Amino acid sequence: MKNIFERLISEPLEGFLERFIQFLPNLISAILLLLTGLFAGWLTKKVLGRLLRILKVDEFSERHGINNILLKGGMKESLSSIIGRFAGWLVFFIFVIISLSSLNVPAIERLLERFFLYLPNLFVAIIILLIGYLLSNFFGRAALIASVNAGLKASGLMGRFVKLTIFLLAATMALEQLGIGRETIIIAFAIVFGGIVLALSIAFGLGGRDMAKDYLEKKMKGEEKDEIEHI
Amino acid sequence: MDSIILRKEIKERIGEIGTADILVGIPSYNNARTIGHVVRAVQAGFAKYFPDKRCVLVNSDGGSTDGTMDAVQSATIEDFQSILLHHRVRPAFKITTPYHGIPGKGSAFRTIFEMADALNVKACAVVDSDLRSITPEWIELLIKPVVEGNLDYVAPLYHRHKYDGTITNSIVYPLTRALYGKRIRQPIGGDFGFSGKLARFYLSKDVWETDVAKYGIDIWMTTTAIANDFKVCQSFLGAKIHDPKDPGADLSAMLYQVVGATFDLMETYSDVWKNIKSSESLLTCGFQYAVGLEPVNVNVDRMIDKFRLGVKELMDIWKEFLPEVIIDFLNKAEGLPKEEFHIPDEIWVEIIYSFAIAAHKKLINKEHLLKSLTPLYIGRTASFVLETWESDAEEVEEKIENLCIAFENKKSLLIEKWQQEV
Repeated sequence: MKNIFERLISEPLEGFLERFIQFLPNLISAILLLLTGLFAGWLTKKVLGRLLRILKVDEFSERHGINNILLKGGMKESLSSIIGRFAGWLVFFIFVIISLSSLNVPAIERLLERFFLYLPNLFVAIIILLIGYLLSNFFGRAALIASVNAGLKASGLMGRFVKLTIFLLAATMALEQLGIGRETIIIAFAIVFGGIVLALSIAFGLGGRDMAKDYLEKKMKGEEKDEIEHI
Repeated sequence: MDSIILRKEIKERIGEIGTADILVGIPSYNNARTIGHVVRAVQAGFAKYFPDKRCVLVNSDGGSTDGTMDAVQSATIEDFQSILLHHRVRPAFKITTPYHGIPGKGSAFRTIFEMADALNVKACAVVDSDLRSITPEWIELLIKPVVEGNLDYVAPLYHRHKYDGTITNSIVYPLTRALYGKRIRQPIGGDFGFSGKLARFYLSKDVWETDVAKYGIDIWMTTTAIANDFKVCQSFLGAKIHDPKDPGADLSAMLYQVVGATFDLMETYSDVWKNIKSSESLLTCGFQYAVGLEPVNVNVDRMIDKFRLGVKELMDIWKEFLPEVIIDFLNKAEGLPKEEFHIPDEIWVEIIYSFAIAAHKKLINKEHLLKSLTPLYIGRTASFVLETWESDAEEVEEKIENLCIAFENKKSLLIEKWQQEV
């Protein structure tokens, strides 16, 4: 009876205890690393935030319209505190990964390995999105100004169309980089973009027939021009 | 970039000539139709007014494909009696060469300055190659103040139609005058006289790989001369008539180039213009006379429509740097009927100064900033046309004078904002 108790209860318990005692230093070190990460993240947030404020990053962002972009994106915090917070979380995240790998658990290690292999894709996707956003704003504004100067009544629409198209292209590229629905997204983008072009062609062909006729007639006859010499 | 005078054939030609007293440069690009007349006028000017001087004509060409350089070589005055001239003491030399470097009028001028330096000339002039109204007297009027009056820079003064040169009249002239204190009526006229000393000074500036080489050379030459205390005057040349410009030329690109170059120079010479409080008139050479000018076709309704479209669509951009009072004014002006449409001088001055400050502080991309000025400029031009519809040249000049005074009166505001930290 005693033998059965030892084999069924006591030995597994002892084995578990032994493995737990062996694992305990790793766990304690992981918890300590996590706590250190929390502190390091908080410290990074505070120090970097203050440093950026001293370097007048908020004034810079105000001047270059970054604050406006953030407001439009629903963020009411200043750029310095956003960067500080982001850096803080990044530091904490690094500590989380170090602490997880310090556990020496094969399953977690495999997961981390896969995560690290995927990380560059995430990074590239974020960069693509960021550049896409900036480019879409730049070219959207350039298209708007050029359309206004050309006297196009639908200038606003033109500016928004250019902006949206560039951002859509960037978003498609980012999703493709992440490997999310790779083919579906490319096909969807092609359908949407092709659809827009087709819709515009039909709209111009049918709806704007008279307008196109007038335009061509004016061009052929020579439109009445101002003869002011500006310089 | 290598100097043009290092090229073998140019070196030989300069060696043949040795030194010269006077040089006239003609920058060109596909001007075969008109350049012959300009060359003949310059040659006649040399013969008539500087018969005892060693004169050189330099054509600096931008790679014309229509035979411009051949037209220069073949242009000659067969019979000097036709210009009532019976003697010619010294022959004039002619050099035609393609220029090197960034394509543009500035690079063409650089070649002319290099030739002037190599030939050690006393006086130079540059004239446009598409001029139809140039006469031999222009050479006298641009060169003599340098040779005999000991002046360094001669700006042109023309009679133009009241609606010609509107960028000059509403921005460049009043702004340059308020900034640098010299009343140069045509700071970007294109035809200038200058001393050999000033040509060497221009050459010494490290601007030949910048936008100055492409465009903006006219305002750069004028501003460099006045901001560096060279002795300046202007000469009355009569009417300026030239080949019609490309009708497709983009107004916003023109504004970007001209106003952008003026704003860039504000950065270079900020220490100079901040200390200038008022303006002074200049010595004006030449006998002034009235000239008949062809009427100009203006469609004010279309101009006001473009202004309204700009206010509707570009307001978000302007709000980033225009004062609130201007924004309110523009919103009101958008709804006004043609009969009441008016942009006063004070508002226009504040708009231009705000754009200058925005360019200085790099608030938005410079090209976007300056091209977004186009609807406001068109609105101001429409307002000016409505205001001066019945006015004669003298009354129009009076209005421009009032605008200049408004620019000068508000200069302290510009200085204050310029110095404010962002």
